[in-house]
Amino acid sequence: MTEARIIDSRGAACPGPITDLAKAYRNSKVGDLLEMWATDAGVKADAQAWAKKTGNEILEIRDDPDKIVIKIKINKR
Amino acid sequence: MSNKLSIILFSGTTDKIISAGVLSQAAAAMGSEVKIFVTFWGLLSFTKGPKKMILPKEFENMGAALQEGMQRENVKSWYEMIKEAKEFGAKVYACSMACGVMNIKKQDLDPIVDDMVGAATFLQEAEDGQILFI
Repeated sequence: MTEARIIDSRGAACPGPITDLAKAYRNSKVGDLLEMWATDAGVKADAQAWAKKTGNEILEIRDDPDKIVIKIKINKR
Repeated sequence: MSNKLSIILFSGTTDKIISAGVLSQAAAAMGSEVKIFVTFWGLLSFTKGPKKMILPKEFENMGAALQEGMQRENVKSWYEMIKEAKEFGAKVYACSMACGVMNIKKQDLDPIVDDMVGAATFLQEAEDGQILFI
C-alpha cells in the first residue's frame, strides 16, 4: 500500500482546502492516496462533492479532536 | 454540475466581488472551466492600483467587522481568490463597451484581466455552461 500524501489545510477557510486538494490532485497519479487535514466546517461535504465531480473516492472521513481527516484515493486522472 | 461556470460580475461592492471570488476559486478547484466577465461597476475594482473596500450603503457600518472576521477566519481577499482560480486556467475579461463608457483603456486594467472583449465573445464562450449574474 502506498503511503498517503498529507495535505495540511488546517486554518484555511473555504474554498482553500478544496483548492489545496485540487493542487495535490494535479501532481497525483492513479492509485495515489491523499490525506487531507482541515478545520473548515464545510470541508466534509465539499470533499465529497469534489470526489463525485472528479471521479475519485473518499475512503474515510474522520473527526479528530483538533482536525477533520479525509482520506482520498485517486481513481481517475 | 456543468463543466463550465461563467460569471457576469456587474456589481461594484466588495461583498459581491468576494462571492464571485469564492465561486470562481471553488469551481476552478472542482475542475470547471471558469470565465469572469467584468462589466459596469465591477470594473472599478479591476483597474490598476490598490483595491478599496466598497460596501452597500445599508451595510456600510459593518466594514471593520467584516474585515476583522475575514482576517480571523483566514479568508483570502477576492483578488487572491481570482488569482487562485486563474492558476487553474480561469479567465477574466473586461467588457469593452463598459470600459468605453467609463473611459477605461486597456492599459488601465489590472494585470489580472486577460482581455477586453464584447458580449458576443462572452456569450459564445459561456454557451452550454452555468451562468451567474453577480
